Amino acid sequence: MSRHLAWFFLAVAMLVVSAPLQAVTYEVGGCKTGASYVNFTTISAAVSGVPAGSTIQVCPGVYPEQVTISQPLTLKGITFNNSSRSVITINNPTGAPLAPNVTSIEAGPVYAQVLVQNVIPLGSVNIIGITVDGTGGGAGCPTLAGIFYASGTSGTVNEVAMRHQLTPGCFFASGNGIWAENGASLNQTITVENSSVHDFDSTGIQAISEQFPSTLTATIKGNFASNFVDVTVQHDRAQGIQNIGATSAIMDNFITSGSGNTPSTANLFGVISYPDANDDVGNVITASGNTVADLYGYAITSQQFGDTAKSNKLSNVYAGLVVFFAVVESNTVMNTSQGYVFNASNPQCASEGTISGNVVNDSSLAFFGLPLVQIQKNQVDSDDVVQMSPQCP
Amino acid sequence: MSRSRVWFFSAVVLLMVSAPLRALTYEVGGCKTSKSYVNFTTISAAVIGVPAGSTIQICPGVYPEQVTITQPLTLKGITFNNANRSVITINPNGNLAPNVTSVIGESLYAQLLVQNINPIGPVNIIGITVDGNGGPQQGCTDASGFAGIFYASGTTGTVNEVTARNQIGGCGLGAGIWVENGASPTQSITVENSSVRNMDGPGIIAVSIQNPATLVATIRGNFVNSANSLQGNTEAVGIWAEGESGTVTNNLITGSGIGILSSGGADNLCCANTISGNTLADIPGSPGTAIALSAPGDSTAQLNKISNVSLAFDLASGRDTVKSNASMNTMYAVWFFCNAGNTVSGNTLSDSTFGFLQAPSLITGNAIYNIDTVQTGACP
Repeated sequence: MSRHLAWFFLAVAMLVVSAPLQAVTYEVGGCKTGASYVNFTTISAAVSGVPAGSTIQVCPGVYPEQVTISQPLTLKGITFNNSSRSVITINNPTGAPLAPNVTSIEAGPVYAQVLVQNVIPLGSVNIIGITVDGTGGGAGCPTLAGIFYASGTSGTVNEVAMRHQLTPGCFFASGNGIWAENGASLNQTITVENSSVHDFDSTGIQAISEQFPSTLTATIKGNFASNFVDVTVQHDRAQGIQNIGATSAIMDNFITSGSGNTPSTANLFGVISYPDANDDVGNVITASGNTVADLYGYAITSQQFGDTAKSNKLSNVYAGLVVFFAVVESNTVMNTSQGYVFNASNPQCASEGTISGNVVNDSSLAFFGLPLVQIQKNQVDSDDVVQMSPQCP
Repeated sequence: MSRSRVWFFSAVVLLMVSAPLRALTYEVGGCKTSKSYVNFTTISAAVIGVPAGSTIQICPGVYPEQVTITQPLTLKGITFNNANRSVITINPNGNLAPNVTSVIGESLYAQLLVQNINPIGPVNIIGITVDGNGGPQQGCTDASGFAGIFYASGTTGTVNEVTARNQIGGCGLGAGIWVENGASPTQSITVENSSVRNMDGPGIIAVSIQNPATLVATIRGNFVNSANSLQGNTEAVGIWAEGESGTVTNNLITGSGIGILSSGGADNLCCANTISGNTLADIPGSPGTAIALSAPGDSTAQLNKISNVSLAFDLASGRDTVKSNASMNTMYAVWFFCNAGNTVSGNTLSDSTFGFLQAPSLITGNAIYNIDTVQTGACP
């Protein structure tokens, strides 16, 4: 047998073996039918009924379910018959109400609409092109989450839409969009990208780790967060993107809280970074290329020394960049009450970090608690007060 | 004489020649007072009192003046004594008068007017605030308007790091920065890195009435914020390219009724614009449009990011290219008006109630996610 012929037979044999595997596509909703499809009527049935590592196509339609994913797989919304919206909703009032289904390492019991937890075998859970609508899920003031990646899980959330995670009338607003955390020792990697997160009243996207060094590496990029917090009385802060103790790259996101907000409180945050609950300072973030606008609050805030903010654009906010950054470079801040506030309170006026190349234009107050030598490395234009009193030397 | 000594003497001669020129700095406001400064008390006095081509430093402070610049110069706000805001305001004694008629026929109250420049040369305005608070709320007549900074026909220059605010004309005619040309030769004007906010008309507008256009405007890196449609402000346009050929890039626009409008001008014959790298958000209600391309030229909108608007793209002219943009959280993504001449491809459109409105055919080649109804609205 010639070598060519041998290759030919090998190829045929591979085709025969692989053909049956290729033929099976997992589908929810019934828009795709035929011998090559395995159909499920609910997402919940599909995520437990497919082999690990499968891709599940979700037809456009409404799925009033609380979904738990506990094996690696890809959930993917598809386009059919002129629609591409596959939306997971609250099964209320006709079905069982949303139940608490996970305990956060940081915040107690959480009512998650899509929960990724105890994934066996280990592997990625990817959620693509799905809408999660929390309308009606805020009754009784739960800690509500659209998508929740629990400790020990990993994966990618891409091109998802989160909406109406709201808890109207509650003393503490607690509606969250996408929530990823890790409280275990094995490192996890989670990416949240290109997603639309709007109409929530607590946190749009957050990453939490409580180990030191951090065991969660999060990439949060290209997301659009809009219209958050529209509650009359807000007793707690709300934020577009929050990092607590994780090591995160937060880049190229576009965050606006909507211009309908009444400026009664400056309790809104575009991007905010905290140390974890144990105060393990040092699991730092890099926030770069983000745009934050229309927000009566703080555009980018760091509560731990070591974070980096670079090349962000901030406009029409109460305050631009706040607190303990290590590196603040090449940001552009316009139309703010306080353009750029550096308040390293202990000691004030400490010349720590790199703060240079920023442009602060059209602020009532440009700098606070920053030595003059550092201010001079930045550009100020049309600012009423360059440095708030008491001025640093 | 050795070669190094020749160099030494040349240097001394150069120093002697240039020293007197360097010594004169023109200043307004009195914060700089030494022999090397020529002081003026008003901006108006300075702009006629300096030699052509001079730079005038403006001390932080309030200047209640209506300023007319008629020679090439640079007006530059400076930092002094912990303040950096040099702000031209409306004189509370109310002497603001109509001082220019636009090429589109509107009689305008311009706070800072650049006109009849002689000798020809650029007028640059840097780091100045122009505040229209208390300006002419003259009521709703189409024949008059109000502008913070106005570059009239035949002028050229750069506006950089400026703040224009509170130009409220009363019926949608208050403009922050207005540049135009109604005659050949072609003029170039750049408006960049400026903060423009609280207008009831356009934040930044560039107008030409020739075909081909005689104005090339570069509008980049500006942050424009206006009250939006839901707040009763349907006529506000963030950036308006009207009959001119220019580029609108890397601006951040929130609020307003239309974020970026490219229109054909009075005769609707002209022109094409490139609109790229802009971010636009919070434009709800009606029209609630992020980018409207209605000029009859072949305009391009690419790499823009659009969030929380009613309509992302209005393609009324029917011959435009919309590519590689990302829009999320919209009611409608693209409105075709049944025009077949548009190219819409490579865009990522997510989280919309409707994707393509009145498209003349099946639209493919875009990444579509989370759209309730992909195509809607029949065409004849």
